[in-house]
Amino acid sequence: MGMEHVWLLPAIPAVLFALMGLFNGLVPRRGDFIVILGMAVVVVLSFLVLLDFQGSFRDGHFAPGDSNLYSFSWVEIDTGVVDDLLLIEFSTFVDGITVLMLAVVSIVTLMVMIYSVGYMRGEVRYGWYFAVLSGFGAAMLMLVVSGNLLLLYLSWEAVGLASYLLIGFYWERQTAAEAAKKAFITTRIGDVGLLIGIILLWRGAGSFDIQEIIHFAEGGGYGETYLTVTMLMLFAGAAGKSAQFPFHVWLPDAMEGPTPVSALIHAATMVVAGVYLVARMMPVFDVALVARDVVLYIGLTTAALGATLGLVTSDIKRVLAYSTVSQLGFMFVALGVGSVTAAMFHLFTHAFFKSLLFLGSGSVIHATEEQVVETLGGLRRKMPATTTLFVIGSLALAGIVPLAGFWSKDEILLVLQDGAGFGPFVILAATAALTAIYTTRLVLLTFFGEPKDQAAYDHAHESPAVMILPMALLALLAVIAGFVALDPVGRALGFTGGIGEVVFTQGHEGHAFKLDATIAIGATVSALAGIVLGFIYWSGTAERAVRARQWSPEFHDLLVNRYYIDHLYQFTIDRVVLGLATVVAYFDRWVVNETGVDGSAQGISFAGYRLKFFQTGRIPNYALAMAIGVIVLALVAVGRT
Amino acid sequence: MAGDIPMENFLILSAILFGIGFYGVLARRSAILILVAVELMLAAVTINMVAFAAYLDPERFTGVIFAIFVITVAAAEVGLALGIVLRLFRDRQTAMVDEASDLKW
Amino acid sequence: MIERLPLPAPLAALLRRAFYPEGSFRLPLPAQLDRVIIYGGLVAGAVLTPILLVLIVLLVINVLTAPELVFWLASAVIIGGALGAVLLKNIVHAALSLVMTLLGVAAIFLLLGSEFLALVQILVYGGGVTVLLLFGLMLTNATDDPIVSDGAQKPFAFLIGIGLAGILSVALVDQVWGAPTASMVPFRELGKRLFLDFGAPFEIASLVLVIALIGAIAIARRDRPEDTEDAAMGDGA
Repeated sequence: MGMEHVWLLPAIPAVLFALMGLFNGLVPRRGDFIVILGMAVVVVLSFLVLLDFQGSFRDGHFAPGDSNLYSFSWVEIDTGVVDDLLLIEFSTFVDGITVLMLAVVSIVTLMVMIYSVGYMRGEVRYGWYFAVLSGFGAAMLMLVVSGNLLLLYLSWEAVGLASYLLIGFYWERQTAAEAAKKAFITTRIGDVGLLIGIILLWRGAGSFDIQEIIHFAEGGGYGETYLTVTMLMLFAGAAGKSAQFPFHVWLPDAMEGPTPVSALIHAATMVVAGVYLVARMMPVFDVALVARDVVLYIGLTTAALGATLGLVTSDIKRVLAYSTVSQLGFMFVALGVGSVTAAMFHLFTHAFFKSLLFLGSGSVIHATEEQVVETLGGLRRKMPATTTLFVIGSLALAGIVPLAGFWSKDEILLVLQDGAGFGPFVILAATAALTAIYTTRLVLLTFFGEPKDQAAYDHAHESPAVMILPMALLALLAVIAGFVALDPVGRALGFTGGIGEVVFTQGHEGHAFKLDATIAIGATVSALAGIVLGFIYWSGTAERAVRARQWSPEFHDLLVNRYYIDHLYQFTIDRVVLGLATVVAYFDRWVVNETGVDGSAQGISFAGYRLKFFQTGRIPNYALAMAIGVIVLALVAVGRT
Repeated sequence: MAGDIPMENFLILSAILFGIGFYGVLARRSAILILVAVELMLAAVTINMVAFAAYLDPERFTGVIFAIFVITVAAAEVGLALGIVLRLFRDRQTAMVDEASDLKW
Repeated sequence: MIERLPLPAPLAALLRRAFYPEGSFRLPLPAQLDRVIIYGGLVAGAVLTPILLVLIVLLVINVLTAPELVFWLASAVIIGGALGAVLLKNIVHAALSLVMTLLGVAAIFLLLGSEFLALVQILVYGGGVTVLLLFGLMLTNATDDPIVSDGAQKPFAFLIGIGLAGILSVALVDQVWGAPTASMVPFRELGKRLFLDFGAPFEIASLVLVIALIGAIAIARRDRPEDTEDAAMGDGA
């Protein structure tokens, strides 16, 4: 299985989606095992792709960015605009970034599918759930292998659709339906930007092919302002999908979906599509430095914003959602200083420990049917395995040596210090410490202390093995995934070196991983300090945290109300959008509907009333009419010859 | 055998027969007589095809083959149409097509 | 019946023997059919004999060739029969007039060198189809009151019939066909062509025939007896 067959990876789950979506009622167990087997095959195939990639990379046959691996002409339109031919190719492309994304997406999807067997047991639409999960996998894999912006956009919308379907999976619940709409519309606003950006890129380069666009941009083909605007548009799409400020509002609400879905889509895969897009387009961003700076500061804002909000949120899944928003901010910060390596590395590690945390929270919700941390507590006695795994994930998120989060967060801080100076570095470091604090808070309130809701506590039980097992596997990855940064580990795995020498900006040289002692020690110390702070405030009955709330109620209100950003959006929608809508509705009612639609309908109705008497019901009359037609046709035919 | 008779003679004969048949279809009220007129039209078409086969396509005479099929289908058609007429007669005590005019405005 | 016809006695006896052989089965056709056939035959003979005579004279004085004579005679039979079929008020007369036309068409087929088609025409049309039509007339009680009026759109129909025949004739004559002579259709070749080249359509045509006849039976048969019995009992109660 060479890299040229990488299109098979999305094809398998796509076919399963179509089959299982329609016919899941015909197979035993609603076809869950079929979908899981399909995804297992995809995991195997993605490792074969990885091996092939390793081989050609090591032998020097393959330099990333050379050419597309597989393509066929999809659409050819004679436009008369650029080279007289608009050629859209279905093409796949594989480099270090792709291989990494393939591994992440296929593994996490498989784990989440296995976990769902336990979590979703007995749910309505069980088969449909698995089918959509498979469809999501197909779209996401397609997204990462496509070498063409149009195909990428197609898959981009497809993952959005899958996300919509899964957030609104419990559509009988009003909040879930609303959250699905909110997620879809919010990301759609960004998607418009993405589409505009793609069109602008095509207008210059005359091609949708990513490599051709990169070559064109690096050759200075685009004007400076033009390119800046274009890349900002592109970034708007990325920010929408990756829930970056100001589009971050949809992600916490998206937690209305089933928890495994949150783990898969809203932690590990779909939300990092934006990171992937910016990383993929990084050579173009390197030309448009203003746009790259915007990426940096948006990422920084989002990281800080998410972390602070994670401090006060009481819903266990929403805490994790804000944490995801914050961590995605970290990745964008890395991209903002031009380091694809650091961003993709953090994406890699984050996918494992954050999906682990989500699955852990799912385990808690499954056991207690409760997801507000104030009503939980003391669960470590009832759910030892979940607790252990959750703590491992939390430590990885907090960045404790030697877990995965430590290595990647360190890398980001390092490149930030090199690339952007002291101010941003301090903010991000503080955010990292905040991460440790809110993580500690979450763990303490959920698993330690005394149970606050006795009924929920009594109801609690350890989850079945089918749920624990994938979590354990993800925990293992959360522990060891960071080591791929190290050269010896990379060589042992068959690469030329650590992740820095495999995953890097196209067209640039890879670099070895370096560990700056100052930053490493500083980060570890601040993480530990965060954990200690968390213990001080939230251990036991958390009375110190309650007192801190009274210390500055205004600030607390600000946080609880999520910086009033949602309120601002609501206000805008109520006053501006709905006001405009009223005008449009008036026009629609009186001009379009009454005059146009109803008017023509009434005209037709009147004509029908008059003309219906031609229908005599007598066959000879009809035959006569037909005969007249025959005569006319015969006359026409004779007249023409 | 047709010798020197020009083909146009056959064609005009067929055209006249077709016109008479068409008149019958339009003018008659009895379903069975309409059927009779349809048979006239079919005969006209068959003459046409056989004439073409004999004059223009003597090697392959596809027209004759077609005529055989026309006769087959006409036989089927008469059988089926008479079934319908019988059903109509049993339900309405009439075989006049213009008296079955329920499907109007 | 035959006795009551104003015919010479020997002819009446001959017809009687032809129509009512001793002890033979007689189709349940109405008695008036005999009269129709006999009178129709006489009328047709009376009309066609002079035409035939004229044509024979023309043949003898070498104005016509023999095939031409056959053509004109057959044309006269066809047109006359067709006019009878669409103009006669009596349904039974019209249906029988159709037979004349179809026999004339068979003659035209012979003239065009297709003996097979002529035979099929006589067997299927002259025999099967006509009998079927007469059965239809009988079963719809049309023979009790055989006179039907034509529809109100008769003038339009007349115009259209004339017009269509005219247009078709003009179009056909206008065309240069470039085919002065006809040739025979060899019987053996016809069989090969029908069963080799057109084997599949031939089979399908036979299927169509079977399906159509089954369909005709399904449509025309009486409602199931148990249904009518139930209805009758319901009425009685």
